[in-house]
Amino acid sequence: MIAARFHRVLSAAVLACAAIPRIAASGGPPADLPALWAERAKCVVAVEYTVETESERRSMFGYGTVVDSMGTIVLPAGSIEANLPPSQLKDFKVFLPGDSTAWKATYLGQDVFTGWHFVRAEAKVRAQVVPVTAFAARGPSPVPRIGEELWGIGFRTKEEDFLPYLLESKLSIIQSLPDLTATALQEVSGPGLPVFNRDGVLVGLALESGEQQFQEYSQMSRGGETVLLVDVEESSIFELADDVLPNFNRIPGDVDGRPLAWLGADGLEPMDRDVANFLNLGAQSGAVVSEVLADSPAAKAGMQGHDIILAIDGKALPRFRPDRVVVDYLEKQISRRRPGDLMRLTVLRGAAHVEITARLEDAPKLIREAKRQYFDGLGFTVREFVYQDAVQRRLKPGEASGVIVHYVKSSSPAAVAGLQPDDWIREIDGAPIGSFDAALDRLKAASQDPLRTECVLLVSHGGDTAVLRLKLNPEPAAAPR
Amino acid sequence: MKPAILNLFSPRSTLALAVALAAGGGTAQAAVSRGLNQLLDSVVCIDVREVNFEEGSRRFDASIGSGVVLTDDGLVLTNAHVASPRAVEINVTLANLEHVGAKLVGWDHWTDLALLRLDMDDVRRRGLKFSHAEFGDSSKLFPGETVYAVGTPYGLKRTVTRGIISNTSRYFEDDRGVDGYETGAFNTWLQTDAAINPGNSGGPLVTEDGRVIGITSRAYLGANNLGFAIPANVAKTTLAGLVHDGAITRSYVGIVPSPLQDLEKFYSLALDTGMLIASVDPGSPAARAGLRGGEVLLAVNHRPVDARFPEQIPAIQNTIAGQPVGSTVVLTLKDGAGSRDVAVVTERLESSVGEESVLEAWGLSVRKVSRAYARENQLEDETGVLVIGIRPGYPAEEAGLEAGDIITRIDQQPVASMEGVRTAEEAYRAKPAPTLVEAQRERRVALYILKP
Repeated sequence: MIAARFHRVLSAAVLACAAIPRIAASGGPPADLPALWAERAKCVVAVEYTVETESERRSMFGYGTVVDSMGTIVLPAGSIEANLPPSQLKDFKVFLPGDSTAWKATYLGQDVFTGWHFVRAEAKVRAQVVPVTAFAARGPSPVPRIGEELWGIGFRTKEEDFLPYLLESKLSIIQSLPDLTATALQEVSGPGLPVFNRDGVLVGLALESGEQQFQEYSQMSRGGETVLLVDVEESSIFELADDVLPNFNRIPGDVDGRPLAWLGADGLEPMDRDVANFLNLGAQSGAVVSEVLADSPAAKAGMQGHDIILAIDGKALPRFRPDRVVVDYLEKQISRRRPGDLMRLTVLRGAAHVEITARLEDAPKLIREAKRQYFDGLGFTVREFVYQDAVQRRLKPGEASGVIVHYVKSSSPAAVAGLQPDDWIREIDGAPIGSFDAALDRLKAASQDPLRTECVLLVSHGGDTAVLRLKLNPEPAAAPR
Repeated sequence: MKPAILNLFSPRSTLALAVALAAGGGTAQAAVSRGLNQLLDSVVCIDVREVNFEEGSRRFDASIGSGVVLTDDGLVLTNAHVASPRAVEINVTLANLEHVGAKLVGWDHWTDLALLRLDMDDVRRRGLKFSHAEFGDSSKLFPGETVYAVGTPYGLKRTVTRGIISNTSRYFEDDRGVDGYETGAFNTWLQTDAAINPGNSGGPLVTEDGRVIGITSRAYLGANNLGFAIPANVAKTTLAGLVHDGAITRSYVGIVPSPLQDLEKFYSLALDTGMLIASVDPGSPAARAGLRGGEVLLAVNHRPVDARFPEQIPAIQNTIAGQPVGSTVVLTLKDGAGSRDVAVVTERLESSVGEESVLEAWGLSVRKVSRAYARENQLEDETGVLVIGIRPGYPAEEAGLEAGDIITRIDQQPVASMEGVRTAEEAYRAKPAPTLVEAQRERRVALYILKP
């Protein structure tokens, strides 16, 4: 099914090709870089959007690549702060390189498999952009060789009308992390923007600096902090074209990115070579399951904490360098599937190999999807208690009730009383809170009553519970004399 | 900001003190009573050498404190943070400057008290002389009353400083106050402005007639003359328990108390009634009996409690702690307009700091996960040992273990006791072979190989 859709995208790309100069055959005379540049600068855009929270509006920018003739734009994961509810993302605008005209755009959601955010530009601007697929090879994409010259596009700031500029480097290494990831000698394109070879053929999509941390895995101790490589505007690493091209059509069904395939095997930790040797697993790769979440597909299938996953659908997990990458590989194997899919896992339990067949489900409601409400008089936002909150607090899902504090306005009654984000409100004015709506009723009553002098919350934070008193409508202080 | 409160326990180091000698002898101060003279002959200096497990190897630290002889058969009271079960050698300098060895009789970090016994065979053989002090009644003290602190600050023998009682019931509780162990939950403290310096710890605080009304314990760091002492009436009880059992056994139900001040109206309570239960330890007897944070405790065994102020909390805690372990305590809780009684069977109170040990072949210092630690950290049970130190370059570090990890299995066997861990290390020591370790960091489980 996915393959069929992919073909349609490709044929659209081939049609688009007709309108542009032919891609020079590789190995020929040096290509005319200015001409290639002029065409390829049309497949990148700058995206501006606004984050609107209880207390402020912030303007944010990201760089994206146009991936189809519908004006669909892919932004790398880090372009939008994680866990923001889509309702707080507003006013998406698209700018063409070197042009200050703002075009309207719509946010389509985040794809969990790639992490990409999808945005679609308004119809009027679509004729002025060219999808990056127009520059992809017709057959398999070329894999750059060591030392091969590569180039890409950077963006100047909004004050400079997002002027595009050339970046150029040479290939240094390609690693499987678990996607084929290439590192150049220096910055080769803007994060999320395409990388081309000398002939202007697409060879990959640059990763953002956050993802450059993958590079550092081999240099860090297990569980240690990674070193963040510096430049957030330019990137020296990229994922190879044939790994990214099939994902351009992973446009989320809704802004929440649903459906999200979910197994419920939590805290995956890599099994290193010494451990594999000790367990007589030879060169086998694997991942330890720290915890099986309650009521999850993994739990229903009989998976247990401390199981070591060795194979998926009878196929041994590939070995990566470094070992840690196996965790990302496993997570991608889950997120690329769909709820309802069967996933057969071979696990090592003690000395026994156990086969487990789990039917993936749509993930429980995420924190970013939780209902939320801000109370200005009290100075805080509450949100629904979701599955992940129960997991974090080691509670049985379904047994816990109450609401979670999402935001506390500084100097507000809530802040003065000591309320903090992530506090778990269990009682309001002495009444246990059974549901989000019950909390809303209680808080509305408290915030709207001009005669109320206080609102009392029973709140848990970490392992501690405390009674907090929010002082409302204080009596006027004695007049100065 | 809350100033740090410092244990008055001096690390023994070469201390170069420029001492200006006062000229002339002068006439003796006539006001010093006979009682105070006798007291001075009962104050001792205590040198302790103790083993330290902290960085994956066995190391020895030396330190110095004060103490007071309380019986003619050589019982010496000092602070728990001066002499602990980790002590491997205790040397006492008597008031007449003679040295004699001593052994630890008992230890109680909650009241910060330790009890030593002098080597009486040696005392008799050498005909050593010392005096012993008498306790006074600390409940009769009043703010402003003159007191003397006697001790050996910085090892300076027999130093007397003078001050007054600044407060008779200071509330001070610290989860890590005595070498990482909890202190102060079951007693309040005397506060004095008598000069108290490092090395004063464990020395007596006395009235003008030389009676011991407190054991000097700690002072605010960076403050001027804010010293704390354990009241003599608490010390008397602890001393009796330590002589008898070497330890103080207390009961635990698992409620975390909080003062009710300013909340009486919200809970529709009469003034001077009740104690707020801020939270209930998960899995504790109180939790199993259905108690929840936010409830108000009205009575313990039908005796009303009153904790409007923090200073009142230790006495209530002590009432519960004083019940026999395994006995039933009836807690009366506010329930709407009325009340309800809940019967709770107590457990033995444990420190969250478990037994410590060092596994030198692996370069690993560990501490047993105690029931209290498991509850505080929401662990499933008490399985495992907590890594508290790692020796660079040794197998544990090479394998990737870190301080804070909890080792839950060794060679696929659950770690139930410190003994089991030591046995595994001894086997490794006898015949080094790769050993599989399962450890938990935060909530993630990972496997490590310790290899020769």
